[in-house]
Amino acid sequence: MAASAGTFAHDVEDHIHPEPEGFIRKYIFSIDHKVIAFQYFITGMVFFAIAGLLAELIRAQLLKPEGAIMSNAAYNGVYSLHGTAMVWMVIIPLVTGALGNFIMPLQIGARDVAFPWLNMVSFWIFPVAGAILFASFLVGAPDAGWTEYPPISLQGPPGTTLWCVAIFLIGISSTLTGLNFMVTVAKMRAPGMTWTRMPLFTWATFATALINMVATVALSGALLALFLERVYGVPFYDPARGGSPILWQHMFWFYSHPAVYIMILPAFGVISEVLPVFARKPIFGYRLIAFSSMAIAILGFAVWAHHMFTSGMPPWLQLPFMVMTFLIGIPTGVKIFSWLATLWGGRLHFSTAMLYAMGFLVTFSFGGITGIFLAAVPADLHEHGTYFVVAHFHYVIGGGSVMGFLAAVFFWFPKATGRLLDERMGKIGFWLFFIGLNGTFFPMHFLGLFGMPRRYATYVEFAKTLPHGVAQFWNVFESIMSLGMVAATALLFFNVVWSLKWGKPSGMNPWGARTLEWTISSPPPYYNFKKIPTVLGLPYNFDQPMPYRNLDNEQDPIPVPTTLAPPRTPVPA
Amino acid sequence: MATTTVVPGDAHDLDAVRARYENVDHAYHEQRDNRLLGILLFLVSDVILFTMFIFAYIYLRNSVPNWPPIVEGGHQLPRFDVNFAAFNSIVLFGSGATMHFAMESWKHLNRPAFFRWLIATIVLGIGFLAGQAYEYSSLAISWAGSTMGATFFTLTGMHGFHVFAGVVFLCILGFQARAGVYTESKYFGLTAGTLYWHFVDVIWVALFFLFYLW
Amino acid sequence: MAQVSRPAKMSMGPFFWTVTAVLTFWNIASAIWIAVTPLDYLLPASSLNVTDRGADIDFLFRFMSIFGNAIITYVTGYVIYFAIAFRRRRDEPANSVGVQIHDAPVLEFWWTLLPTLLVIALAVMSTRVWYLVQYGTGAPAFAVEVIGHQFNYEFRYPGLEGSVYDEMHLPAGRPVRVLVSSADVLHSFWVPEFRLKADTVPGLVQNLNFTPQVPGTYVIECTEFCGLNHSEMQARLVVDPPAKFEAWLDAQKAKAKSAATGAATVDLAAGNAGAGKLLFAQKCAACHSVGGFDQKLVGPGLGKIFVDKAHPKLVDGDAPTKANVAKIIENGYNGALGAMPSAQQNGLTGKDVANVDAYLASLK
Repeated sequence: MAASAGTFAHDVEDHIHPEPEGFIRKYIFSIDHKVIAFQYFITGMVFFAIAGLLAELIRAQLLKPEGAIMSNAAYNGVYSLHGTAMVWMVIIPLVTGALGNFIMPLQIGARDVAFPWLNMVSFWIFPVAGAILFASFLVGAPDAGWTEYPPISLQGPPGTTLWCVAIFLIGISSTLTGLNFMVTVAKMRAPGMTWTRMPLFTWATFATALINMVATVALSGALLALFLERVYGVPFYDPARGGSPILWQHMFWFYSHPAVYIMILPAFGVISEVLPVFARKPIFGYRLIAFSSMAIAILGFAVWAHHMFTSGMPPWLQLPFMVMTFLIGIPTGVKIFSWLATLWGGRLHFSTAMLYAMGFLVTFSFGGITGIFLAAVPADLHEHGTYFVVAHFHYVIGGGSVMGFLAAVFFWFPKATGRLLDERMGKIGFWLFFIGLNGTFFPMHFLGLFGMPRRYATYVEFAKTLPHGVAQFWNVFESIMSLGMVAATALLFFNVVWSLKWGKPSGMNPWGARTLEWTISSPPPYYNFKKIPTVLGLPYNFDQPMPYRNLDNEQDPIPVPTTLAPPRTPVPA
Repeated sequence: MATTTVVPGDAHDLDAVRARYENVDHAYHEQRDNRLLGILLFLVSDVILFTMFIFAYIYLRNSVPNWPPIVEGGHQLPRFDVNFAAFNSIVLFGSGATMHFAMESWKHLNRPAFFRWLIATIVLGIGFLAGQAYEYSSLAISWAGSTMGATFFTLTGMHGFHVFAGVVFLCILGFQARAGVYTESKYFGLTAGTLYWHFVDVIWVALFFLFYLW
Repeated sequence: MAQVSRPAKMSMGPFFWTVTAVLTFWNIASAIWIAVTPLDYLLPASSLNVTDRGADIDFLFRFMSIFGNAIITYVTGYVIYFAIAFRRRRDEPANSVGVQIHDAPVLEFWWTLLPTLLVIALAVMSTRVWYLVQYGTGAPAFAVEVIGHQFNYEFRYPGLEGSVYDEMHLPAGRPVRVLVSSADVLHSFWVPEFRLKADTVPGLVQNLNFTPQVPGTYVIECTEFCGLNHSEMQARLVVDPPAKFEAWLDAQKAKAKSAATGAATVDLAAGNAGAGKLLFAQKCAACHSVGGFDQKLVGPGLGKIFVDKAHPKLVDGDAPTKANVAKIIENGYNGALGAMPSAQQNGLTGKDVANVDAYLASLK
């Protein structure tokens, strides 16, 4: 067997570069996708903590209708930076830069991405852009939300210009990463791995990379124009000088709607990997899920103006966007049903990753349904600009992207570090997060429908329209429940740090999973694969030998989870 | 969908995979394939950048009843001068032709001809930029004075920046070629430079039509 | 080849059909409940049908809630049920696997088709309501302009010279077209009970067509971030019975006429500093502090406006006398240094102006 496999000039050590030497080359300016992924993870989690703190400032302010802790000006900066940082400095870098970078090359049997040096450059732009963004607090934070609509953003504090620069920079990073990943998936898959034998996380990463590469540049255009208008007075958006505020909205949302698919598609990929492993059965509807990811990526470019239904677009334009938005719900719904069918008939293990994946099914579905509520133009006329929208996107991003990301952390941390995260802390953290998320964002649907606008530092008039104290009660309730998410995050940080030192050693394949990354050591050697394996089929059959030839290590043909507690009674052979 | 079970020793898979890796220096060609896709995708993303500003131009132009627009003071801005721009366009398209000939020379192992055509390309590129500078200085409209100026100067300015970067890129390629970095079979950098230069030409076709002919 | 342990021949699962029946029964019951119960638990004043368009929109909400609830119930219900029914038992061997199916084409066909049909139905219903909102059901009785400012609304009525601020009136039972626009930045015009919203866009006019049906006082909220006092940008909308509305409109016309003929001279000496202090906090404090000139918010601090040697002239170049300060409060300011609303835009009467003037004079 080994002899016939060795006929490839390809699968021997001759293409392995020598290991980088020195601390700087190994850990600071590394071109190894695994190190870069870890760098994205650390930086992203730091920004997550800062943006989360800003969120808690928002919740503290809203404890009182007249505003509890800060002035309007301060609040406007706080919520703007919370949103901006969460989208661009936390979620997108974490799901693409951290997860995509670490997992995808391993899943396709590659030794690195197509352009490792470009990967390193993409990473290093990230902390610089984040620093510039947060530095805007020092000169007057941008105050018109993460969407910065002109004309108000033309008048905004100096930090708005820094905002343009920071997001432009992170956009370059995103675009380069997207390009890198597309070439990697298209060209560097192991022999035998046809498109329809690719693991679903790789499909998701490919679809995301497509969006990343095409859409982000559109945002760069919008930002460049805003920057030029603010700094040099070049008129694009100021209606007093022939410009159009609606032009900004078109340009901004043409990117920012696909951006939400950048945030969610990798999470979809994670769910598609985690559910089969912990149900011990194949993913249901592999082809539908793979192709629907591509369909969502492409259709996602055709729905942007559903953010603009009240904005003054020509009315006839609202209809096609409404219809497209409804239609894009179908592939997403099909995925949810497929995931449910993956659970059916399984032998379910409730690891922390599995809990997050199952929780995702509930919270993301809920967010998806409220998305349909927003897609119907007449209903949107009521809901736009209110807390209903805030509730919707926190369910799909917090209950979708973040939960998917956390599932990924618990699933792949052992592969990256060789140690398991503590499951007990993980499970407590899951329940804190799940209950905290629902408690914080569920009441917002009702507050929004009853008239509470978003981006309000105070809500005195709204509070008067409800029976006395009701508006405040629910805001206080939400603020208290949000502490659940704070606690969960703190616990996660502690878990990561603790487990790095004292976590149980995981071994090569603690979960009994079947994709290629689980056939190499934990953590993998810097070159990933000594011999590039040959792929013979899909990795989702749990009753068959693994479909690979020419693997580096001895494997159980049918891997089983090694993390299960031993049976109480001896099992007959 | 049935599981694809492949029995070990199945000849079909091995042959197909082996055939793909028949190439002697497949390491280089693999790299080249990757980098070729990379540069093409990069150019796609660059096209999107220009497309956004072209969209902005069309949108702003369609949102006013008169074009050129009527500015504060009540007077209408003048149209652009097609003739000079047409001449400058010929200079730029000419540089596209010379770049094509440069590549052909290289592929046909004619190094001296390659360098002649490359230098001609660079000269024509610089000539185009000089022409743009002359046009900018002689225009009555300003960058910040109207949406016409805003869109024109931003789009042609971005294009000019791309031409400038391209000229620098071509100079670097010239020095690399002189230093022997490229051989008759390995010359991906030159391919990338040619693709980029043609891209710059294609963008100009669109801009010329949008600003001078429409 | 290693052996795997499979479950014995499996039906859909223990109690699967029972659970499905329970979930379905719950969905049908809640669908009926949603369909017939007043929607007031979800949308303000739903059972009152405050506007005709609002009633149409609420119907759409009912439809979406019925099916949204059904989908969520099934998804959550099955997740919980599967977690219980298909959990791996403690003592099962480590190599036990689930049912190794990859797809079920018939099932997939139905679960793709049914949501598609639902979505088509929703699209058709939404299009009908959309049309009514954009174009109305016939000629409107009249058109009212709403113009957004930082940070209040200006209302202009046909036949009325000048504008009304702070309180918009509409007659019940008559179809109206509201023309929405802005004088400065983006704002939005939204009355929650009406369900209708349109952003106020400078340089553009949007239409809202509807018939208010229920007399009452409602709140207009701004839902598009517009600057520092976005959270404080509200106005009242009063729906009157038609006769009362006519009376109100006539009163506005009379007021406009009297304001045009000879501005009433206000006695500045009678200004009350205490009342002025309250007004200052309500109307001026957003942009002006009572500290020194340099304690700027949006505009300079006004604490030393009458005594500041370093700034001997007011913003319009006049000397800082009580009369000149009152003039600026009355007329506002629009120039190179920014924009300050006039007394009318701020909703200040002549007496209010005198009070604020007195208050500023009392600061030393």
